[in-house]
Amino acid sequence: MLFPRRPLPTYRAELSVLLPVLSLAAFLFLILGAYATPNNPSNLTGHSTLPDRKNFTKHRTGEQVYQQLCAACHGPHGEGGKEYKRPLTGDKSVGELARFIHQEMPPDAPHKLPVEDARQVAAYIHDAFYSPLAQARNKPARIELSRLTVRQYRNAISDLMGSFRPGNCLDSRRGLTGQYFKTRQNGAPILERIDPEIRFDFGTKGALSEQDDPYQFAMHWQGSVLAPDTGEYEFIVHTEQAAVLWVNDLQQPLIDAQVKSGNDNEYRASLFLLGGRCYPLRLEFHKGVRGVDDLKKLKEKPPQKASITLAWKQPKRAEEVIPHRCLFPVVAPPVFVLNTPFPPDDRSLGYERGTAVSKEWDEATTEAAMEVADYIATHLRALSGVADDAADRDAKLREFCRKFTARAFRRPLTEDVSHFFIDKQFQNAPNLETAVKRVVLLTLNSPRFLYREIATPAAPRLEAPHVEAHTSVVSSALVPAASAKVAASSPLSISADPYDVASRLSFVMWDSLPDEELLKAAATGQLTTREQVLKQAERMAEDPRAWFKMRDFLLQWFKVDNYPDLAKDEKKYPHFDATVTSDLRTSFELTLEHTVWSEKSDFRELMLTDTFFLNGRLAQVYGELLPVDAPFQMVSMDFGRRCGILTHPYLLASFAYVDNSSPIHRGVLIARNLLGRTLKPPPAAFVPLAADLHPNLTTRQRVALQTSPAACSSCHGLINPLGFSLEKFDASGAIRAREHDVPIDATGSYQSPTGEEVKFAGARDLAHFLADSEEVHTAFTQKLFQYMVKQPVRAFGPNALSSLLQAFQTNHLNIRQQMIETAVWAALGPQTELQNNDNRHSGTKSDTIKASEKISGKPPMTRITGIPKT
Amino acid sequence: MSKNYTTPVTVTNTRREFLRKLGLSAAVLPFLANLPSLAAAEGEPRKQRLIIMFSPDGIVPSTFWPDQEGESFTLKESLKPLEPFRNRTLLLHGVCDRVRGDGDNHMRGIGCLLTGAELFPGNIQGGSDTPAGWSSGISIDQEIKNYLQQDAATRTRFGSLEFGVLVPERADTWTRMAYAGPNKPISPINSPYQMFNKLYGRAKDQEIFKSVLDDLQDDLNRVRSQVSTEDRQILEEHTTLVREMEHDLQQANNKDIGHAVPVLEPGVRADNDNIPQISKLQIDLLVNSFAADFARVATLQYTNSVGQARFRWLGIEDGQHDLSHKPDSDADAQEKLTRINKWYCEQLAYLAKRLADTPEPGGSGSLLDNTLIVWTNELGQGNSHTLDNIPFVLVGNGLGFKMGRSLSYPKVAHNRLLMSLAHGMGHQISRFGNPDFCGDGPLPNLTV
Repeated sequence: MLFPRRPLPTYRAELSVLLPVLSLAAFLFLILGAYATPNNPSNLTGHSTLPDRKNFTKHRTGEQVYQQLCAACHGPHGEGGKEYKRPLTGDKSVGELARFIHQEMPPDAPHKLPVEDARQVAAYIHDAFYSPLAQARNKPARIELSRLTVRQYRNAISDLMGSFRPGNCLDSRRGLTGQYFKTRQNGAPILERIDPEIRFDFGTKGALSEQDDPYQFAMHWQGSVLAPDTGEYEFIVHTEQAAVLWVNDLQQPLIDAQVKSGNDNEYRASLFLLGGRCYPLRLEFHKGVRGVDDLKKLKEKPPQKASITLAWKQPKRAEEVIPHRCLFPVVAPPVFVLNTPFPPDDRSLGYERGTAVSKEWDEATTEAAMEVADYIATHLRALSGVADDAADRDAKLREFCRKFTARAFRRPLTEDVSHFFIDKQFQNAPNLETAVKRVVLLTLNSPRFLYREIATPAAPRLEAPHVEAHTSVVSSALVPAASAKVAASSPLSISADPYDVASRLSFVMWDSLPDEELLKAAATGQLTTREQVLKQAERMAEDPRAWFKMRDFLLQWFKVDNYPDLAKDEKKYPHFDATVTSDLRTSFELTLEHTVWSEKSDFRELMLTDTFFLNGRLAQVYGELLPVDAPFQMVSMDFGRRCGILTHPYLLASFAYVDNSSPIHRGVLIARNLLGRTLKPPPAAFVPLAADLHPNLTTRQRVALQTSPAACSSCHGLINPLGFSLEKFDASGAIRAREHDVPIDATGSYQSPTGEEVKFAGARDLAHFLADSEEVHTAFTQKLFQYMVKQPVRAFGPNALSSLLQAFQTNHLNIRQQMIETAVWAALGPQTELQNNDNRHSGTKSDTIKASEKISGKPPMTRITGIPKT
Repeated sequence: MSKNYTTPVTVTNTRREFLRKLGLSAAVLPFLANLPSLAAAEGEPRKQRLIIMFSPDGIVPSTFWPDQEGESFTLKESLKPLEPFRNRTLLLHGVCDRVRGDGDNHMRGIGCLLTGAELFPGNIQGGSDTPAGWSSGISIDQEIKNYLQQDAATRTRFGSLEFGVLVPERADTWTRMAYAGPNKPISPINSPYQMFNKLYGRAKDQEIFKSVLDDLQDDLNRVRSQVSTEDRQILEEHTTLVREMEHDLQQANNKDIGHAVPVLEPGVRADNDNIPQISKLQIDLLVNSFAADFARVATLQYTNSVGQARFRWLGIEDGQHDLSHKPDSDADAQEKLTRINKWYCEQLAYLAKRLADTPEPGGSGSLLDNTLIVWTNELGQGNSHTLDNIPFVLVGNGLGFKMGRSLSYPKVAHNRLLMSLAHGMGHQISRFGNPDFCGDGPLPNLTV
């Protein structure tokens, strides 16, 4: 411990201790800031004898101790040295390593190294090069063969099936198309109109003056519903009368309340939906009675009340009337949504990736393939368009299967692939239904469907020396094993096969298969220049799936992808109930969409905006002037005292405790995610100091007190002053001026890895700093790339990150444009230096390849065209 | 006004259940075995099964009910097909549906038949009375199914299966007799093909999947040989997984279903005139599913209350419901109705025969020795719409009733028979449906 801690009787006394602690934190940070960087040059190398205990300070980092005492024998990076040749790698835990080091090391003076130092060394080498994880991290990056992630698999299946049912809900209008009928038997509608949402109370009369019989009338609404999120949706119909609701499947009702029975007037049913997609929806409402006698008996009594509401619960949200913005008047084709559960993907590197297979995954893909096969068999006529009694049904179904397999493989089928996957299966099946199922099962279990970039071997730019044909059916071979070694260590080039380009583009932009237009472009040689690829990427950015992917990235970047628990202390924040937290999430997402998916798509605007989406309920909580039932709209909050998305109450409330703000959580979010700094997990689990045990301390003071030990400072010197800048926002994200009558101190600071220090007076300064910080731009660029591409950016060449960063900055920090640039870069690879798109952006550079220039003169890579000889 | 009858009061009887309720584990069994009451309850358990078969629109009493009571009785024309099973048949006359309230007799007839509980008020208007909705209680088949599914020893893959034969594709009070709870009608599965998929779909798909496994492995090998060494590893692991799956599937196949997957006559469409074929397919699937122990409870519903099937294969062009309204004096109509009910009885006899011909898997005797079929109807008689003397024809030895008899009860509420079914299946409930009609508990004289 750096300072002896003693009981501090007064508030003043505590501050006097805290201040030096804080400045020390900054000082320590200077020394230890690069703690996590294994290659940090250190001058503390050399002598292997243990220094006198007295001179050996306790506060050296593990790295310093290692370099001082261990590196001479083990090498500066644990690679081995003269004395001890074997590299320091293994799978011992940090604890085991520490015990070993303490007991055995150095060999000439075991037990001399203090336990704490041994632990520090162990932690350092474990993380720097010893553990399997560290080894993987230190390996030269390469584009790894990856299977589809779960997200990609689900999307690919939906789009594969959807390609046989073209159409969409895209329409500038919102709401559902309503038809109004005079009687419950329907007949011709007396009115057709678009209703923005379904929330009607007709009292005891008709909905329209023309519906003059209050005992019976009917309405039908149809259109589509857009699912903003992936997950379990609960649809809810409220009515005292009869209603039927269909969602996605227009044959089978999701809710069938045609029979009004007892006091039931609320009907619920759940459905798993993929986000960013439209689903056909139909709702019928009937007033009156059904059956034998119909209305005669009913009219002996006064007419009953009638109302209808169509509501839903989005995943992890409160119930709400399905909002206008999610309803479309056009009926979209149904979407096939896979129900098979999958094991989650590896996210240990910060993004989902498919670089490992497991038994659970293999079982899930098989199960899923069977689910698809069943669905196709049941809907064969609708999907294939082949009548059950068609004379040439065999030939037509083969044609359907050929399309299916080609779309699944993202490329036209060569003759032999076509024979193997289709004709052979038809020949060996007892009937056509089984034949189709065989094709589907084989196709969806084939690595050609399951793996991305299967045809993108690590081809070196140097010419592959040994090209050998594996079999006669392969027209020319892929890079053989012999050359792959070269590839592993050399900068990779990327295949320019147009179908690979198409596939990369679509998986990067949409996490799904190429659409028809993209495949057509590939087929007609329209994906050979950067300009053409760019044009496609720009087109694809218009698709809701692109926003959906960007949305998911941003939610992950702001660390709210897992729906943080926003429950707050009911006494302190009486208004902060489940509806408010649900509204806050919606507000956050709408604000993201509005700023990021706008024409400007300006990163700085995202970081600096003071305008957020609020509805009436939220306005009440945060003291803005809106009617209670006002729908979501842009509101400039708190007279400009908020600045940037970081001051959105949803984030502030997410990174807070139930009753207090949490500068540490806020600081970690900024440091790790926004600035891209590496932070280690705390050495032990800490419980925050209880506020009621320190009634005289502000949150800021409590945090400073708790993190004052030296072991904490190396990280908290970075974390705390960032988080403190947001102290003017309480646990609910509302603005506060004081805490326990003490004015809030929201000053903060940041020390960059290169040593410049920035000071903030509060949230506004912080926001401006972050908006313009190249560190933040770099982190954003890198994290976006890795999220989109699901490969490390280093694998795309040493200059990939800097080039992409340059593009981001040149394009005025346009986020959507950066998504497009990222996709183009990933699709074409480092053969082309990044350039500014075209003349729309100022500051174009002339030293880049002309947009129209051919990407590569070499012949396209050979595809896997061969099929096994049978 | 109506109450929900959701939680029948239960009396424990089986030893296992008794112990479970006491919270005692098998470890204390030796000590408890000395208690005579517990020891007596122990016995070699058999797999008990229950089928409820429904046909609509009442019967013709004069050609249906035997003139005699007791063990020597003569089967009349409507029941002639049961002759081979005469000593495994139990006829219950005098059992009445006493449930009243909203809905006409057809609606209450089917909606209260298995629930013993009133219909909720609603928007379905019958030919008389007030409009009504769904039943306010669970049906006895589901009650028994839930009971069996609670216990691992009696739990099956589906618990219960609901078969339909041309039940109209509309959900209303007249078309539903099984209820998972108040306001929770269960749709029967009309299509034998859909039922087949439910029972065997996955097995069939696994067969197909197995048939492409060789090709799949060829393809994997092929692709694997064409990627770089580093990338080969993940494909090698993948290939191993596929090989493991092939192995697992073979293992599973050896023990799974235990009987051959039945082959359905293809392309039988859901048309009125195909009712005989559909009936046969559904019965075959039902027997198969019992043999495979997929379920221990089933319902088999022919059309619906107010069913209007046209029995053209019997030379009858009129719809059944229209015929059922004809007066007793219309001899032609009564003759036709008798033939119609005889046809239903033939279906019952076919079902009984299939069960009798199927050996009890892993046990002795046949499935019929361990199955009770209850054939019933929503009305006692079509032209009067009476809910008295609802036909209850019981076939099979599944519930320990003394068969081979014709019994006549003095207008007892059918709730008591529903309780008897539960008791016979080991589920000792003390009331079911509306408690007012549960009187003195299960019907007397059934087990004698």
